[in-house]
Amino acid sequence: MATCLCDAFYDDVAAATLQVLEFVGLDVEFPEGQTCCGQPAFNGGDWSASRRVVRHTLRTFAGDLPVIVPSGSCTAMLAHGAPLEFEKERDLSAVQELGQRTWELADFLVHGRGITKWPGRYDATIAFHRSCHSRGSRSAEAATTLLASIPGVTVKEFGEGEQCCGFGGTFSVTFPHISTAMGDLKLEHIRAVQPDVLVSADMSCLMHLGGRATKEGKPIKTQHFAQILRDAMLANGGTA
Amino acid sequence: MNGRKSVDQAAAELSAETQASVYHSTKVTHEKRTKLLFDQYKNPDQLRQWAGEVKQHVIDNLDSYLPAVEARMQQNGIKVHWAATASAACHTVLDILVARRAYRVVKTKTMVSEEIRLGRFLQHHGIESVETDLGEFIVQIDKDHPSHIVRPIIHKNRREIAQSFEREGLGAYNDDPKTITMRAREHLRHKYMEADVAITGANFVSAESGRIVLVTNEGNSRFCLAATRCHIALIGIEKIVPRDQDLPLFLNLLGRSATAQELTVYTEFIKGPRHEDQLDGSDEVHVIFVDNGRTDVLESDCTEILRCIRCGACLNVCPVYRQASGHAYRSVYPGPLGAVLSPLMMGKRLFFEKADLPKASSLCGACHEVCPVNIPIPDLLLRLRNRAHVRGVAMEGSPPMGAWSVLASQPLAWRTALSASRVLNRLPTDLLPIPALQAWEQSRALPEWRGGAFRKWLAERRRPS
Amino acid sequence: MSLWSELLEFGEPPRPDYTISDRDQILTRVSKALEKLPNRALMPLYDSKVVIQHSVLAGRDPVEVLGERMQRVNTKLFPNPAAIVTYLESQGWLRGYCAPALWRTFKAHFGPNFKVELHFESRRLDDYQFSITLAGGAIAETGTIILTDEISSSRLSSLAPWAHFAVILREDILLDVPAGIRALGLDRSTIWVTGPSKTADVEGILIEGVHGPGVQGAVVIEQRVK
Ligand code: SF4
Repeated sequence: MATCLCDAFYDDVAAATLQVLEFVGLDVEFPEGQTCCGQPAFNGGDWSASRRVVRHTLRTFAGDLPVIVPSGSCTAMLAHGAPLEFEKERDLSAVQELGQRTWELADFLVHGRGITKWPGRYDATIAFHRSCHSRGSRSAEAATTLLASIPGVTVKEFGEGEQCCGFGGTFSVTFPHISTAMGDLKLEHIRAVQPDVLVSADMSCLMHLGGRATKEGKPIKTQHFAQILRDAMLANGGTA
Repeated sequence: MNGRKSVDQAAAELSAETQASVYHSTKVTHEKRTKLLFDQYKNPDQLRQWAGEVKQHVIDNLDSYLPAVEARMQQNGIKVHWAATASAACHTVLDILVARRAYRVVKTKTMVSEEIRLGRFLQHHGIESVETDLGEFIVQIDKDHPSHIVRPIIHKNRREIAQSFEREGLGAYNDDPKTITMRAREHLRHKYMEADVAITGANFVSAESGRIVLVTNEGNSRFCLAATRCHIALIGIEKIVPRDQDLPLFLNLLGRSATAQELTVYTEFIKGPRHEDQLDGSDEVHVIFVDNGRTDVLESDCTEILRCIRCGACLNVCPVYRQASGHAYRSVYPGPLGAVLSPLMMGKRLFFEKADLPKASSLCGACHEVCPVNIPIPDLLLRLRNRAHVRGVAMEGSPPMGAWSVLASQPLAWRTALSASRVLNRLPTDLLPIPALQAWEQSRALPEWRGGAFRKWLAERRRPS
Repeated sequence: MSLWSELLEFGEPPRPDYTISDRDQILTRVSKALEKLPNRALMPLYDSKVVIQHSVLAGRDPVEVLGERMQRVNTKLFPNPAAIVTYLESQGWLRGYCAPALWRTFKAHFGPNFKVELHFESRRLDDYQFSITLAGGAIAETGTIILTDEISSSRLSSLAPWAHFAVILREDILLDVPAGIRALGLDRSTIWVTGPSKTADVEGILIEGVHGPGVQGAVVIEQRVK
């Protein structure tokens, strides 16, 4: 699943995800009918609208293949959010089933495929932002493990790493003051460790943080986790 | 917003100084708590889960626990009363006072008394009721409201406090915290000795023994209960734990979660009126079990929030609370706890008054992670957002999603919209009122629109060459 | 603050007049709400000993653990009764109260400059700079003093003076918090004291001695002098 955010803005992240998966020897299908995981309406409280979108996703991803998503947030939506809004629905079990075979990319590589080292080279100091949707999951640990294993990469921890960046979907526009203040705090902690690039497994956080940094006139380079893996691999002479 | 201030507006209007001190002290408490828990236990999460299960078990079986605890307390010589509403609770207190001709009351910090606005009620009836917790005392003399459930005056600085003390005739201006505290000590110890009745809350009640457990760091509750002859405890109906042997788990988690202490300094276990050999303390103990909206919560699909032991950890960790402070929530209970509990306690009819609170969250989940009774707060916030939607409560923060969902369930229309650059993921721009996009762009740049680019790339790549 | 104060604008609330009692009303609503539950949460099977910090206690002398844990919470543990009296003298605290049961234990140590009373008069609670009372026990794991109504006949005596010293019999030291709970027994009012009275209400700054003692002390003895 490419996610609607990549569909609209971050095509290279979707491409990188695909390349990474192919690199580890998988055949990747991209169901053309996919749209969005349904999270915007779910978070907004309009669960009937959200269920409509989830049902569409159910149809699009019918079958038993694992569904890999380059986003902790969309993964959490399918694994946790959708079952919550389907609690009293008759197709709950189908929703749960989809949730169980949905993986966040880093989690899939490390825990699904047992990959703990990534080849190639990427010369950079990386600040890794743990998105909130990886709370209680193994995704953030998986991503930092893989990143740190790439020759040339230094992963730097920064202050209050467990705090939210302030995006939160519609929260970012309906609570602009708080959202921005949270973003500023996060950026302050990130800048303190002077990374070359800010990496996350969620483009939504990066859109918020990167957008804020640009607006402030102090732009910061942001990359998705998949892009780093892909670029490292390419540097090693891998083919895309 | 019905003309009332949103949490975001309130945060924007908060002084930078107040915000900084709220941020700083919540952060420090949170970090100490984490260190204490994780240094001492291999798996603190397991403790939180058990505690959550114990409380959920009690809540799911309140119909048997409540009569059981009542019977036990009566055996212990405690007089048990029931109050369905705030006003019933206030009047029950007043009746007890009047029957004793008791006109001077000392109080410890109890959230229930805040809920039922007991202080103002008693004042209205000519009864002197003195708050003895230092923070609550300052709230009282300032006619202010607590902004945190454990640290009532987290929003005040020492200069403001010193001015209040001067105004109240508690000595010339002096903003040294030690001096402030010693002046309060002097002033309040005479209040205890003059008082007829002590009013407290309860942190836990054991169904097995009927014991009331009260914790304070200052020792004010002990002073209240040593110096007066009548004790009235206001207790929410959800405060029960099954057995005495469940108390270690809860005391352990409460001290650590609230103030990063292994145990709160003073932990009192009250079983009944004093023995005749004891010189100090209550001859009469009254317990008032208060509903005041709790059965509304019990009827909802958010009963988990009744597990809450009022530790404040979710407030301390919450990035929104840290920016907005407590008053922004317009409720006795602020923060993530309050965003769930406050609208529910309004009851079905008045739910809409606070239906905006569950929106005041980025759903980051930090509150769930720290909650000592493992309340899935983000799930409850989401359920309440859905409830608001279903009830048709119109408010900012819920853009219409109907048209968007049609689009997102029709692949063809979706793809067309993408390449025609009309759809924007989390911000369905064409479907949102324009100010939303402006709000984004006011503080953040938007990335370049690349709608459909990935699909094009993929198609080209897959074209057999 | 606008709505907040609006909501709180206090009119005389109507005296509730229910034909059914509040008790029945609450219990009926509770039962109704719970009836709808498909299933009710079971009590988890857990052992209350899970909260014990075994690493703190493991194989050590309880008095040693107690001392170490008391230090963490700023309770001063004295080696013997004489040391308490020496400390009092060094602070210039000469007026105080000693529980009658402990008088023989302490009497010999007080010099003539001390004015020690054996009856605590609450009317004059500011007259006592210190008090010495007998504890019901202690909890080693947390450095906690246990005060019971059974053992001490005046709650105020251990609370009101600036400095309080609890005398703990070695045999009354319990190891951990669950043991402390088991020991509650039939006592009408027990209080656990883990450090001096304190607050951090003013700007988060820790101040000791808000309502209760600013100095909390303790001593472990083998037995009282009878
Ligand atoms: S909801 Fe949980 S974390 Fe928040 S105050 Fe209640 S018990 Fe503490």
